[in-house]
Amino acid sequence: MKRFRGYGTLLTVVFVAAAALIYTLTAGNKPLLGLDLQGGVSVVLKPTGAVESDTLDQAITIIRQRIDSLGVAEPEITRQGDNILIQIPGVKDKDRAIALVGQTAELQFRPVLGTIPVTEPVEETTTTSTPASTDTTVVADPTASTVAPAETTTTIEPVTTTTAPANGGYSNQTCIDGVTDEQSNPTGQALLPECQDGILVATYAVGPVSLTGSALETARATLQNGQWTVSPTFKGGADGIGLFNGVAAQCFSKASTCPSGQLAIVLDGRVLSAPTIQQASFQADQIQISGSFKERDAKDLATALKYGALPVELEQQQAQIVSATLGQDALHAGLVAGLVGLIAVSIYMMAFYRVLGLFAILKLVIEGALLWSVISWLGTNNGLALTLAGITGIIVSIGVSLDSNVVYYEHLKEDINNGRSMRSATDKSFVSAFSTIVKADVASLIGAGLLWWLTVGPVRGFAFYLALSTLLDLLMSWAYMRPVVKFVTKSRWFGHSKLLGLPAERPQPVRGRNTAPVSAATEEANR
Amino acid sequence: MSVLGRLNRGETNINFVKWWKRGLVLSGLLMLISVVSLTTRGLNLGIDFEGGVSWEVQAPGVSVDEARDSLGTVGEGAAKIQIVGTDILRVQGPEASVEHVAEVRQNLAELAETDVANVSVSTVGASWGSDITASAIRALIVFLIAIMIYLTIRLELRMALAAIVAVVHDVLISVGVYSVFQFEVTPGTVIAFLTILGYSIYDTIVVDDKIKENERLVGMTGRMSYTQMASLSMNQVLLRSLNTTISSLLPVLSLLVVGAFIMGAVTLEEFSVALTIGLVVGAYSSIFVATPVLVFLKERQPKIRTIRERLEAQGLSTTATPERLVEARANTANVAPEGNSSTAAPKPSSAPTASGAIPPRPRKKTRKR
Repeated sequence: MKRFRGYGTLLTVVFVAAAALIYTLTAGNKPLLGLDLQGGVSVVLKPTGAVESDTLDQAITIIRQRIDSLGVAEPEITRQGDNILIQIPGVKDKDRAIALVGQTAELQFRPVLGTIPVTEPVEETTTTSTPASTDTTVVADPTASTVAPAETTTTIEPVTTTTAPANGGYSNQTCIDGVTDEQSNPTGQALLPECQDGILVATYAVGPVSLTGSALETARATLQNGQWTVSPTFKGGADGIGLFNGVAAQCFSKASTCPSGQLAIVLDGRVLSAPTIQQASFQADQIQISGSFKERDAKDLATALKYGALPVELEQQQAQIVSATLGQDALHAGLVAGLVGLIAVSIYMMAFYRVLGLFAILKLVIEGALLWSVISWLGTNNGLALTLAGITGIIVSIGVSLDSNVVYYEHLKEDINNGRSMRSATDKSFVSAFSTIVKADVASLIGAGLLWWLTVGPVRGFAFYLALSTLLDLLMSWAYMRPVVKFVTKSRWFGHSKLLGLPAERPQPVRGRNTAPVSAATEEANR
Repeated sequence: MSVLGRLNRGETNINFVKWWKRGLVLSGLLMLISVVSLTTRGLNLGIDFEGGVSWEVQAPGVSVDEARDSLGTVGEGAAKIQIVGTDILRVQGPEASVEHVAEVRQNLAELAETDVANVSVSTVGASWGSDITASAIRALIVFLIAIMIYLTIRLELRMALAAIVAVVHDVLISVGVYSVFQFEVTPGTVIAFLTILGYSIYDTIVVDDKIKENERLVGMTGRMSYTQMASLSMNQVLLRSLNTTISSLLPVLSLLVVGAFIMGAVTLEEFSVALTIGLVVGAYSSIFVATPVLVFLKERQPKIRTIRERLEAQGLSTTATPERLVEARANTANVAPEGNSSTAAPKPSSAPTASGAIPPRPRKKTRKR
């Protein structure tokens, strides 16, 4: 008897699966749960018009920086076609996270016409001083200034105060909801709120937009003489610093277009800061916004100046807040259902195919170990999350895996029924059956690949895990199923057809074609 | 021999020609109902397609009426309120401001006596759903083309066409079920519909591979028409199809019964209802749609037609299960090709002659033992 080489692949597969499982357990790799399973925030953004691929990547970078500023763990920001999918698992302040990534409006600079301070203290009744950012100033950078005389930094213009009722009609809620496009009226005058931590601190009457964030090159927050200041750097030329100096001159001279001498920095309909312009002309990289900033305020302002304007307008397509308890319930249900399904299908396979069925289940176990290792590895190292759709894909793939066994076993039965010896049928059937399996699995892979390529969101997770388990099935059908069935049919212990759920071998030789299974033929004919 | 025993041995003697006719009537009827329902009733699209806000919270013991009373105070009295799963309260309303969404969230948290963090919210813009639908339809079309090319290369064009007909049949009926029963269509359902394609193709490939393997019986003895051969193949492949369907169906049924009904996981329900329908329809269509369509196409091939005409001229039935079937079956095994059946199968290379003679019986390959 020639030694069968297939056992090598069998040993390899079992060894690799065991090694992978041990590695996964010792390295402490665990699958990364998607936010539909552990709770969190998911936002899908889509550009409003056609955009270049680079522009979108740039937008993603900006959004990533914004989320990083929240300090949350492992945000996942991916691009799917033209959509940007943002997933922030387990975020505490979910509404703030959504607001932050959804903050897609242009950064605007608008001259201040007048200020309405908060008439009734909204939160703290003991507040005695006006809020900090109303008395910020824009000055030339004193450390590097060649234009601005030093004394201008010391003059702080008093804030123009106009008495108007009811805060211009705004309340704290405006800070959460923002203003409508109509209210923000970029080409004319508008009343805009200034908020701090969701509390309305002032309302400004502002003129039309003078320039937008696109004129800015960058911005940074620095600590100077114990005070936090923000240093924006404008782009050179007429579209950058030229525009800024145009409005700065108006404000400095307190022209009718900018009577207050203040220039409001507006993001998403909210005034971030309204510094007073201290000189008529600035150099692009020597501007400072100073005031009684706290560190966080200064950094937030710098971030908004730097990244405030995304290169493209994004529209929120979908936002989801998943509660952790509902997510865990879904995970639990998915796992229990998977287990019950596995047991049910094991019983069925073993009832039908006996020992061969048992080895089909063992195949599932090995595939499971490999799959778990791969998912854990991807979750730990690539941040690829396992979603409920993915779990469904895996449960569906239980069927895919067993289908391969059924196809082979049925072929085996048929060949033995037709008079082949068990030994010869084992080899012959595998060839035909594997050809069928490859055809069917490749068709599945084509489907999964197209789903991955052409769709967004949860469909992708499903497609990925379906493809992964289909590939595993192809590998296992060849490397595991063939040698195992060979082993079993040759074995003294199992080689009994009853134990294998196979029909008994028919005594007549295969060669006698014309006299083939006479008994069966007459039986059928007699019916 | 019992029916089950014969099924187990692939020795059933069902005349599928008769059943195909019944199957086509059934399929035609189901497809008609689907089309009528889709055009008149349409689909019950979830908020993911229509745009809107959906809140979900686990609220044991809270009834829909209680929820409606409570939500009336925040202006959502007219919202769609359901208990899904076992105790999950789902409220769906039109698109709303962030403020309103938070307000309702708070209201629901109080109603369910839980923390606000335990209320899930999903806000969907109106164009999101059409995006999903558009991408799903695009995926469907590209999938069909790709599969068609693949099957044409691996099997043959007519089988590819028949498989596509079966897939369209499956998807149409599955979507039809959703329309007739007005089940809610969610992105999960769309995923499931796309998976149905895979199942349907899988089953059809298993069946087609068997037909391909048996193809040489047609014309070899001059005693069997393509139709009869296909019917014989169905008998042989019946158990295989049943078992692959059952082994796929059991885990999916477990998702539906254990995951969705008993444990109340709503998302699982969305997947598994569609998958269950699709699996059953897919298994049915591989035998009762793909194969008759293939037979229909093949019987129009000159060579195949010639064989049938010859058989008819001899006064033999071209549709009934031939009595030599069992004998033929034995032959199948004996001339079982080496390697890939579809490539090793002796292709009838000689074109039918003008006289309509049956091409010579292809030479058998030397058997390897």
